[in-house]
Amino acid sequence: MNRTTRVKGTARAKRTASVKGTAGGRRARRLDPLSLTGLGCLLLLVLVALGSLVHAGGDPDAIVGPRLQPPGPGWWLGTDNLGRSMLPRVMEGVGTTLLLSSAAVLVTAALSAGFGILAGYRGGYLNELVMRVVELLYSFPAIVLAILVAAVAGPGQLAAVASIVLVTIPLMIRLVRAAAVAVAERDYVTAAAISGAGLPRILGRHILPNVAGTIAVQGTYALSVGISVEGGLSFLGFGVQPPQASLGVLIRQGGTYMMAAPWLIIGPGVVLVLAILSINVLGDGLRDRFEPRETRALI
Amino acid sequence: MRYRLAGSVAALALATSACGGGTAAAPPGTAATGSTAAPGFLAVADDKLPAGGALNVAVHIDSGAATGLDPQLADVATSWQLMSLVYETLVTVGPDFTPQPRLAESWENPTPTTYVFHLRKGVAFSNGREMTADDVVGSLKRLLAAKSVWRGQLGPVEKVAKVDAATVKVTLAKPYTPFLAALANVPAAILPMKEIEAKTLDPAKEMLGTGPFKVQAHRQDVSWNFARNEHYWDKGKPAADSLTVTIAPEEAARVAAVQNGSSALAALGNVDSAAMLAGAANVKVATQATTDFYYLMLNSKNPKFADPRVRQALNMALDRKQMAEVALGGQGKPTGVTPAGLPGACDPATLPSATGGGAAKAKELLAQAGVANLSFTLSIYSTEPAPAVAQVIQQNLQQAGVAVKIEQMDEASWSGKVYGKVPATFDAALSWFAGYADPGMVTTWWNPDVAGFNVGFMQADKDLNKLIAAATETPSGAERDKALAAVCAKVDTDAQMIPLVTRPATVAYRADAVSPSLYATEGYGNLLRLVADARVKKG
Repeated sequence: MNRTTRVKGTARAKRTASVKGTAGGRRARRLDPLSLTGLGCLLLLVLVALGSLVHAGGDPDAIVGPRLQPPGPGWWLGTDNLGRSMLPRVMEGVGTTLLLSSAAVLVTAALSAGFGILAGYRGGYLNELVMRVVELLYSFPAIVLAILVAAVAGPGQLAAVASIVLVTIPLMIRLVRAAAVAVAERDYVTAAAISGAGLPRILGRHILPNVAGTIAVQGTYALSVGISVEGGLSFLGFGVQPPQASLGVLIRQGGTYMMAAPWLIIGPGVVLVLAILSINVLGDGLRDRFEPRETRALI
Repeated sequence: MRYRLAGSVAALALATSACGGGTAAAPPGTAATGSTAAPGFLAVADDKLPAGGALNVAVHIDSGAATGLDPQLADVATSWQLMSLVYETLVTVGPDFTPQPRLAESWENPTPTTYVFHLRKGVAFSNGREMTADDVVGSLKRLLAAKSVWRGQLGPVEKVAKVDAATVKVTLAKPYTPFLAALANVPAAILPMKEIEAKTLDPAKEMLGTGPFKVQAHRQDVSWNFARNEHYWDKGKPAADSLTVTIAPEEAARVAAVQNGSSALAALGNVDSAAMLAGAANVKVATQATTDFYYLMLNSKNPKFADPRVRQALNMALDRKQMAEVALGGQGKPTGVTPAGLPGACDPATLPSATGGGAAKAKELLAQAGVANLSFTLSIYSTEPAPAVAQVIQQNLQQAGVAVKIEQMDEASWSGKVYGKVPATFDAALSWFAGYADPGMVTTWWNPDVAGFNVGFMQADKDLNKLIAAATETPSGAERDKALAAVCAKVDTDAQMIPLVTRPATVAYRADAVSPSLYATEGYGNLLRLVADARVKKG
């Protein structure tokens, strides 16, 4: 099977899977109900985040009522210690957290694809260098690495994105590299090289499409890790700056008032759990849907 | 320059407040629930309890002065608080801010420019050597010669002289009403000058004073261990054998320490501490009314704020009442530059900014100044409740069409940004000053030539400086109140450093572990002022 037939075959299988449910004797290619539920929740959260952009739940920074009021008319999730309605703040928090995490994961995916594929295909010193750097990053506990980044870059969104990238990139580079090593040994890659294809063409046309599934699946896990890291950073005060809300900021604040005003932590806490759970469930489903058998074991 | 003078005792911040859907806030200066404190006190130690035992307290920040442990160079309230355990001054202040005897048993003021101090007998440093008039004279002369920010508070001291073995005379060049209140703070402490001059003691590295405690061990940013000063002149004090001060930057850690009993007493920053600890067994929360106040620094050396009309517009748009009610949970009070709560302080409601017309007038003023779409960055530190105050400022200014970006950082980074460069590079910053015990003292910091720390972001105003000098020279009374009111109004229109709201201080303690004494009011950011009286109930 050459690369072209494999890629085309996969694409065709994807198209037919949604209609027939099976392809070539392999198990169903459509997402299972649990994954679909995760996808639905995630889309709902994205809608909530989009709603916050137009202040659908109100102005998240406006002081609308007495401070620390329990849920009631006018402030359906209660008010915080400055008399701001928690509903728009949770909505804004969802948007901030998802946006930062998604941006960071896109950067992670791009960098991982570049370095992972190159290291996997070329091997040698380049491979050694990339892997040693990855191991160095791996040696730091995630939150310690994040705090280090925040200390250097200063608190804020940039620090949060950079932290998430540095925390999530080691695993993704490893997996992409491993997948690339397996693909690089395929006949169609060898054939492409013998026929005179240049490095960019080999990497971009022959290897990247075949490791894209790994990147997509790992991206979902990275997204959940990113949300956790953002939450942790903001919880420690190194993340987004006031008055902007993120789920981490809200949980940090809510934790302080947990006994006196539990509604401050319940809303963002439930949403954070829901977001991470949804993404993980969706990631599992995507893995079953797309991941080649030989690389699935790596995750 | 909370960081320099007013200090970061911020641990102590604020008050108990409304919570849980409208729990009533206890006004600052009120005793903890169930307490039977005397007037002027939040709590009075039960002297029927036996002395002894180990006392553990928690604060949010260590003494972080780059100048080391030299009390004369200490410029933050956190340092003053810790150093006050070891060092003492000639006079101190009572709960009503009046000067009280300490190392000076009494004093006379035969002329408006002469103070004669009669030293207490039987006072010794913790090394056992008796304190002498030479130590007093030497300490004051050393302070006058030092590059100390507190030098600016001492006023026009002309001469310090020993009259006899137990008497010291200080002569001023002209009357200076806050003189005794200035002597009551730690930088004016009496040092062991004999040891310092003999170079057997480096006060920057080692603390040796006449106070109730002596240092046993110190781990920076972790803890201080103090032992009783066996030579302390006030017999029976300190009541505790030892004192451990744990540095716990996280508010939650201090709250937990009180809840689980690992600390008998903790300084808290959250204005809702009382509500949050309402259900905790044996925990009492009390709030001091302080003369400390938050203020907004507008960097007038930055082109954005060079025009006084722009600064006045921002001042006009600020809603101090909302800051007090919302950001401080009703525990703060609007204030002018003379701290609200001190006798003779001006009424902030009569200031031009309060009567000027609010956000609408601010917009007009900005338009007159030719400023449209003004935006700036407000640098704050993360210690509560500063972020809450900053967010109310942001909301207030938004009403005037001004966009504020809040930049939050740790206290050390904040200090570096605000005070680290001349001219300063920040746009605006938020901090707090200690308000001290005399309404004229803090006004001195509005004269950059005297204060020094604010030359990077503040232009000297000759007219204001004259008014400040007049207010400090005028004896207490109606004339002085008038002079202070003039300073208030001038500071308000100058608007380079804008006074906002007072900053109450909250303390939580274990009623089953300690019987503390606490003043209802405090002016120097010293929550541990009466810790030598505290009786340990167990341990």
